[in-house]
Amino acid sequence: MAKRWTCVEAGCSWTVVTPDTESAVHAAQEHIAAVHGSFELEEMIEDVLEDVTEPLDSSR
Amino acid sequence: MAVSDPSVTSRFHFSREMIEGPIYRKYEKAIRKMWSVEQIDFSQDALDWERITPDQRTGLLGVTVRFLAGEQAVTDELVPMLAGAHRLRRFDWTMFLSTFLMEEAKHAEFFMRWHERVVGVLDPEEVAQHFLVRGKTVDPTGRFTVRDVMYEALPDYGGQLMEAIHSGTDVDVERAFVRFSAAYNAFVEGVLTMPSYEIVIDTTERWDAFPALNQGFRLILSDEGRHITFGTMACRILIEKDPSYEQCVHEVFDAYRGNVVGLVEYQKAVPDLDLDKYQNMKVRHYRNRCREMGIAPDETLIEQILDPTIDFVVGVEAG
Repeated sequence: MAKRWTCVEAGCSWTVVTPDTESAVHAAQEHIAAVHGSFELEEMIEDVLEDVTEPLDSSR
Repeated sequence: MAVSDPSVTSRFHFSREMIEGPIYRKYEKAIRKMWSVEQIDFSQDALDWERITPDQRTGLLGVTVRFLAGEQAVTDELVPMLAGAHRLRRFDWTMFLSTFLMEEAKHAEFFMRWHERVVGVLDPEEVAQHFLVRGKTVDPTGRFTVRDVMYEALPDYGGQLMEAIHSGTDVDVERAFVRFSAAYNAFVEGVLTMPSYEIVIDTTERWDAFPALNQGFRLILSDEGRHITFGTMACRILIEKDPSYEQCVHEVFDAYRGNVVGLVEYQKAVPDLDLDKYQNMKVRHYRNRCREMGIAPDETLIEQILDPTIDFVVGVEAG
């Protein structure tokens, strides 16, 4: 099942949809490091992932 | 299959549903990710300690000694949660909490060893000299009160949970569990302390020093990710059972609102840090904790954290 993760940093609502949990964790951690100069812990990403059925690899 | 005697089946707690569930998965992950303080090499940190300036030593020690005290406090204050899991007959919670308690003890051990081997201090009288004793924090606008979360909120909410365990109904225990977990996991570990971890990691990288401290903080954080999300998941499970428990979470955050809207003292203790970064980060962590608990965040609290006119420093007398 594809997974969606949305960044909730103040002023940010970047969203990514990935094929699985592992790639969602990777994408989220990359976003937090590159855009916010910070880090997000694995469990904190995994526990808020949403199941989606829309096309994969979309980010906005 | 023959019908079993309920008094015998009640002696067994594992079920297929439980071992496939999210809390048991956290227990398994904790076992897989086990690390030891003995694996960490403190020798470079000891050399770095010799080369930094007296001001840098004072600033860094002010932070690390607080963590040394804080990790001992959270180790000591966790027992009510274990007793609550037992009373609520949630064996997967009890199993996970056994790793949680051991890990908090290990975090305290890490800071004890770092101070012993790098700074050369260990006994209470030695480390206490470096503890930044906080004066009464004053918000100049008079809107917020700053209270002692670690030494007031955790023992108080823990005491209420123990009282409910001894003489309350299951509903009393659940309500007290949500309050305690909201204070311990969501507020202290999950929002208030997160910028402090990152400030220490940022500082070691900015100074290109203290690799053991950096490594230890990263290992501790990976454990904290499980602890925090266990607490918020437990809250979510209980709130889904009785939505009125959501109010307990908001009451806890409201009682200690001043502590989260003010700046963390380390933000001003370590020069050149980007102050906005840590306030934005608090908002992200607060929103995430609410998302994990399945509750709506308090938008006023978010506006207050981000309000640049609210810039008093928690732990330092304003002015």
